[in-house]
Amino acid sequence: MALSLDSATQQVQERLKGIYKLVKQIQEEKIRNEGNLNAVIKAHEKLQSDDKISPYHKSKLKGLYCSVVADAEKEEDLIRKALSKIYEIRVIRHERRIQAKQAGSKETIRRGALMKMLLITAQTLPLWISKTGQQPPALCGAVPADPTYVAKLGDIVAALVKSTDGDENWILAEVVQYLASSGRYEVDDIDEEQKERHTLSKRRIIPLPLMRANPETDPDALFPKGATVMALYPQTTCFYKAVINQLPQTAQDEYQVLFEDSSYSEGFSPPLMVAQRYVIAIKEKKK
Amino acid sequence: MADTCNQTTVNNASTTGVGTIRLNNIQKIQMRKQQVREWPHPKKLEKLAVYSSCKVDESCKCNGWKNPPAPTNVNTMPGMNIALPTANLTDPCRSCSHTLSEHVSHLLNSTNEELNQLLSLVVDIENLFVCVNKEEDPDNKQVYFCLFKLLRKCIMQMTKPVVEGPLGSPPFEKLSISKGVANFVMFKYSQQTPKEFQKMGDLAKMFIHCLNHWKLETPTQWKQHYPQADLSVYRMSYTRWLCYCNVPTYCDSLPCYDTSAIFGRTFLRLIYSTVQRQLMDRFIAEKDRLPPERRDMIINQFPKFLADMEMELGNDASPVWDPSYVHRPANHHENIKDENVAQPGEATFHRLTTNGIVRSISKDAEKNLLKRQADNESSTEGDTKRLRLSDDISEETVAQILAVINDPKKMLGPESVFPENAPRDEAAKQEERRGLISFHVVGNSLTQTVSKQTMSWLVGLQNVFSHQLPRMPKEYITRLVFDCKHRTLALIKDGRPIGGICFRMFPTQGFTEIVFCAVTSSEQVKGYGTHLMNHIKDYHIKHNVLHFLTFADEYAIGYFKKQGFSKEIKLPKSVYNGYIKDYEGATLMGCELNPRIIYTEFTAIIRKQKEIVKHLIEMKQQEISQVHPGLNCFKDGVREIPIDSIPGLKLTGWRPSHGYGSKRVIEETFDAEQLYQALRSVLNQVRSHPSSWPFLKPVDRAEVPDYYDHIKFPMDLKTMGDRLKNRYYVHRKLFMADISRMFSNCRHYNEADTEYCKCANALEKYYIAKMKDAGLWEK
Repeated sequence: MALSLDSATQQVQERLKGIYKLVKQIQEEKIRNEGNLNAVIKAHEKLQSDDKISPYHKSKLKGLYCSVVADAEKEEDLIRKALSKIYEIRVIRHERRIQAKQAGSKETIRRGALMKMLLITAQTLPLWISKTGQQPPALCGAVPADPTYVAKLGDIVAALVKSTDGDENWILAEVVQYLASSGRYEVDDIDEEQKERHTLSKRRIIPLPLMRANPETDPDALFPKGATVMALYPQTTCFYKAVINQLPQTAQDEYQVLFEDSSYSEGFSPPLMVAQRYVIAIKEKKK
Repeated sequence: MADTCNQTTVNNASTTGVGTIRLNNIQKIQMRKQQVREWPHPKKLEKLAVYSSCKVDESCKCNGWKNPPAPTNVNTMPGMNIALPTANLTDPCRSCSHTLSEHVSHLLNSTNEELNQLLSLVVDIENLFVCVNKEEDPDNKQVYFCLFKLLRKCIMQMTKPVVEGPLGSPPFEKLSISKGVANFVMFKYSQQTPKEFQKMGDLAKMFIHCLNHWKLETPTQWKQHYPQADLSVYRMSYTRWLCYCNVPTYCDSLPCYDTSAIFGRTFLRLIYSTVQRQLMDRFIAEKDRLPPERRDMIINQFPKFLADMEMELGNDASPVWDPSYVHRPANHHENIKDENVAQPGEATFHRLTTNGIVRSISKDAEKNLLKRQADNESSTEGDTKRLRLSDDISEETVAQILAVINDPKKMLGPESVFPENAPRDEAAKQEERRGLISFHVVGNSLTQTVSKQTMSWLVGLQNVFSHQLPRMPKEYITRLVFDCKHRTLALIKDGRPIGGICFRMFPTQGFTEIVFCAVTSSEQVKGYGTHLMNHIKDYHIKHNVLHFLTFADEYAIGYFKKQGFSKEIKLPKSVYNGYIKDYEGATLMGCELNPRIIYTEFTAIIRKQKEIVKHLIEMKQQEISQVHPGLNCFKDGVREIPIDSIPGLKLTGWRPSHGYGSKRVIEETFDAEQLYQALRSVLNQVRSHPSSWPFLKPVDRAEVPDYYDHIKFPMDLKTMGDRLKNRYYVHRKLFMADISRMFSNCRHYNEADTEYCKCANALEKYYIAKMKDAGLWEK
């Protein structure tokens, strides 16, 4: 299905309408659920003053809890639906971009627009919302990819490329295809001004996280303070060595990192903010 | 002899300015002149003989007839002169013994009027003579004496007195004080309420009036106030003032000028602090005699006016003293007020209010759109007037479109869904609106205290520049950022500078050098650079400096190109050579600003215009939606068909235009003067055509009472002549638009078979032919 700018716009708008409806429903649901929640709270207050739990109250309380849980699940369901709409929009935008690119469209986006797009895609990276007992999957936050994982077409990765002057840099690149026979990736520099296409061995590719970890529920899926990582220098498309200075506090926060930078007397840049999506484990160069 | 003027000079020397005493003296002098004019002819000759050289022959060096001692010196009462016996033409001169007639032989054929003029000179000479004798100040004495000699010479040679020599001739400065003060009032107060503005205007008039009647301190007095200053400069100005402004008030044979008209900033700076002080002292001393409403204005407002004036006067970079200063009408750039211009310390950009923007944009957009519709006339400021009458877009339509494109809910087009397509500076503008970032012009100063914040920002800027421009030596950056003549437009985020443009303005040269320009790396590609540049452009338009120059290194060329800079420098080299810092291996780039553009609003306005046009096209499409079968004629071997024969094309409103390609050529081959001459010739020919008679003058309302009810935008050949003279027709299309408006008005008001319309047809045909001859018409 070809996505013209207009049809993409239209599809996005449909999703937005859906989100709008869902948000309303969520609110309605919340109001509706308040009755049961209040009943639970009241029951607890009564129990506390009574000091003793009669079997009647026990079963009544249990019933109340069951309905509250059911309510919450309904609410969760709605929120997840809304979230999925947001991800759909993300996908549409992503597809649209890939298709425009494949169509050889000369609709090149400006650097500033590219940077903005990178920021937005990082902010809207799906958030991993675990159900009880679930562990965050691979490529959520700092959790590395499975060794056998193969990045998909259009995925954004970090790629170690050799520049013309011989320096090696980790750059932001987009997967064009994976050549299973040779175990190599073909990637494009995300910066369209660099026209080069690179064919790189799998070792030189690090997939970026596909989901954000929620610091409040999955703190283990984040890099610890003081860890040495690679992070995308703000407003560029290159990864540099950096030290984690501060962890994100909420799912919306970013890491605060210090980049190695010899132009500063301390050897590090001032603290800069980098989104989870662009902070990855460091691969030390083998000597 | 010169009895009347003893008092004059004495009083004159003791008054400090706007005295009433001097007026009386002037009246006395006038009375005296009147008396002299009423003298009988022989007496006039006698008087003039005293100042006329003996004409007997070359050898007689006598320069004035001296009468015998007898009765004349008895005369002390001026009124008695007439009664006294006059000398005879045959009376001999006591000095050379030649007769009186031989001293006045050159005057015998002169008219009474001529004699009166000479006599008026004589009165002035006699006054000056007394002045010379009474004056104690050596400077004054010398000047009086020189003028005395000058006038004497004039009588002998019967020439008009002109002060010559090393003084030069007025005006002495390019921009007069009165113009400068007027500029100052516009510049400083035009944004205030009309009432306030009016008040300041009145104060300015009063100030000028006082200045014109101001009695300057003599150089000796001045020296006491300013022992360190260079006296020679003051003495020169003082002498000029005596000769051109002061003495002529009572010696009216000398040309008289207003102080405020012939002197400029340099002069005003010399005297300002004294004038300011004495003026206020006097007003305060006299305040009880002032009417109450004036008292309030003078006691409460005047000191502020004088203080503001002083600031502007002391500020070398102030635009109001620039001879080319043009005040742009209010509401343009009104959002970016720069209140502290006079202060070298800091000037702040005021944050734009959302409301203001929307209003100004929609107005401008509307205007611009209407202009477009008006037959592609190139635009002149605020000219919504020259509209086509027939195919104009109704106000409602425009309002409707504006409502749609200003309503965010209805604007869920690709732009809001795919924000990467938004203009480059849009994000930065939004941040500024929300107060996340702000822009300030800061600079160091040696004469005024620099606030702590300004200092810390300057340090921050120095850091940003040295990090972002690693090739520049740090010391060099520091030196320039902290130099008092350099300013930096700082971009402040979270209280810290994250970028800036360091510049040096050369107001006298009309350009600014962009010295450093950088945004910290982690904040780049967010549109800040563009927004900074737009702000600095608006800032310069406000200061009336319309050229930027910069040396761009290889990485900066791209940026500057995007900001409208080019390698072709519009300024002559002599203007900037020796002013701008030269860098090896860098490219000189320049940018000329258009004062009609608000650069920070530019992209938004263009977007809006585009959006409006798009909507108009859509509306038109809905109106005439119709499918035509394709053209088959080409299959049959037809190679070309006239465009207007394509079915449906005319329905869309398309009109045959006269060849697209040649347009450019015409515009480029004409320079301003050439165009002026060519249009003048066309206009003259059109005017002298026999059918031009209905168009020569504006339609007279008295003759055709209802004409202006029907014709909203009248035009005629006289108006066009005036516009041509005023260099309004900077583009041939402006001229063409006016003349076609004239014809269409005629056809609109008159029936087609009237004599008027016939004239219009004939004249238009002739006009087009002449335009073609002149190469001003598309072939």
